[in-house]
Amino acid sequence: MRIVVAEDLYLLRDGLVRLIEAFGHEIVASVGTGPETLAALLEYRPDVAIVDVRMPPTFSDEGLQAALAARRQIPGLPVLILSQHVEQLYARELLADGTGGIGYLLKDSVFNAEQFMDAVERVARGGTAMDPAMVAKLLVGNSTNGPLGRLTERENAVLALMAEGLSNAAIAKSLFLSEGAISKHTTSIFAKLDIGADDDSNRRVLAVLTYLGAE
Amino acid sequence: MTSEGTRVRETSRLLRWPEDAAIGLYRSGVLIVVCWIAPVCWLAIGIFLFQLAGSLVLGLWWILWAVWLFVIVTTRALSELVRLLVRRWLRIDIHPAYRATVPLTKLATGYWWNGYDYKRSKLQSRWNRWFRSRVRDPAAWRDLIWVVAAPASVGLVGAVPVAGIALGVYFLGFDPVAGTQVWGVLSIVAGLAAAPYAWRILGPLATRLLGPSSLTRLNNRVRQLVTARADATLAQAAEMRRIERDLHDGAQARLVALGMSIGAAEKVMDSDPVAAKQILREARQASSTALAELRDLVRGINPPVLTERGLVDAVRALALDVPLVVDVNSTLAGRLESPIEAALYFGVAELLANAAKHSGAARVTIDIGYQSAAATIAVGDDGRGGARATSGSGLGGLARRIENFDGTLSIDSPSGGPTRITMVVPCVLS
Repeated sequence: MRIVVAEDLYLLRDGLVRLIEAFGHEIVASVGTGPETLAALLEYRPDVAIVDVRMPPTFSDEGLQAALAARRQIPGLPVLILSQHVEQLYARELLADGTGGIGYLLKDSVFNAEQFMDAVERVARGGTAMDPAMVAKLLVGNSTNGPLGRLTERENAVLALMAEGLSNAAIAKSLFLSEGAISKHTTSIFAKLDIGADDDSNRRVLAVLTYLGAE
Repeated sequence: MTSEGTRVRETSRLLRWPEDAAIGLYRSGVLIVVCWIAPVCWLAIGIFLFQLAGSLVLGLWWILWAVWLFVIVTTRALSELVRLLVRRWLRIDIHPAYRATVPLTKLATGYWWNGYDYKRSKLQSRWNRWFRSRVRDPAAWRDLIWVVAAPASVGLVGAVPVAGIALGVYFLGFDPVAGTQVWGVLSIVAGLAAAPYAWRILGPLATRLLGPSSLTRLNNRVRQLVTARADATLAQAAEMRRIERDLHDGAQARLVALGMSIGAAEKVMDSDPVAAKQILREARQASSTALAELRDLVRGINPPVLTERGLVDAVRALALDVPLVVDVNSTLAGRLESPIEAALYFGVAELLANAAKHSGAARVTIDIGYQSAAATIAVGDDGRGGARATSGSGLGGLARRIENFDGTLSIDSPSGGPTRITMVVPCVLS
């Protein structure tokens, strides 16, 4: 894969580059400011971009803005946001165009290299990768009232993994269940929450996030 | 379009004129009474006592005493009456700076203390307090300036409409000579023309003379600022302590543990690689936990989204994180100064937490705007209401923090709901 890395902290950027190269991918550009990020994304059109939210020159949400701007010009350009903080607002802005290829992970997710590269590859394929911390926050915020209480424990676990962006196969693998059982669970979840079932995991994530956010 | 608009305005003004004139005449009459009653009484007392005394020196002496007593008894009542009129006619609240009355307290010696003096009985003490508050309070003497100055200023100008009409009626009715009739008509016309405006002189003069003096205002402001500074210093020190403690007990301790784990792994690396791997896995877990703690700490000091996006988006992000339906409406364009942004943000966070915890509300509305050089945030919910800002309560603390920015927190929360709490902080927009 051809990857652009945008991160202003040198140590972290260097670590990311080394990690990615260790997995046999090509770094086409590694940049450290917002404007550079946008330029690199538009010039190289990478298979996936790994972008930090806060970058120079203003240290606000430069990276996020660059990613959004690039995606407006290249719809569906896969972007994985790496941030120090979980912020639903940003994830929603990224997901809003509905074209997929979006990831939003905390920076410490790189500690687990295999899982991290898994998420990178998922995003590159046009899938979704949401940080478990974000999903947990959404679920906690909703657990007190409403239809979530009607879900079984198992269904709750499936819903959480679904919101992270995992496919049925991946959910099955991480819960040690068969794919058939998972698809039964998902159908049941969608019925209970009254949202349209969708096999496309992107639209599914959006639907789940919208549901969780709206209640 | 424009000419039509003007015409409409002209007609409505014409239609309103009789009403304005009638109100003006009534107010003019009230002003004559209120402004002249004191001097007339003084004069009456003077003439009466002068005739009673029979001698010039004794008469003057009596008059002096009588007028002085009269002044003490009536001045405050008269001033309060004028303040009431200003409030009703002009919707201006004049806050006099009278000294607060000290409650009567019985001391161990059996004497009563009233804030000025010790007295043997409670009744004596109460009388003494009343008297001293009239004589020793600078604000009371400022009232007297009004009572003396009013007849010659407000009493004259405000009297023009009534006096004009009275004079006109006198000219027309009692002295029907051709020349004076013209004067009579002119006088009535002048009186009527002045009626809607003459009484308005009350506003500027009363606010100046009956409000607190500039010195008092300055003193109050200094006292308020001293309190605010003390509050801010205390709050800052407490905040520093909290951060220090959190770092000390949290991230710092975890980093120590992390170092130890890595050291242990290093030691057993060769002899027992499986155990070393296990220890390193745990170390990774510990570093994640330390990061999570640091994240929470940072969020409590200054939420990243506030720095990155400003108040409105930070409030939106906050709204996404509470288990309530929250509508955020904003007309705020631009950023505020960062201390004010932070204060308002944490204010909203506290109000949202209250709404979620205590109110039983299902829906919350947050309105953010900027009017007349002040940022305004109103948080309303459909809960059970009854929110109060008592000292020691969360709302009381919030009110004080907002006051430190010269802002105000107003609470409208009848029991049974709905609640609407508004924070207003004066600031510049950039």
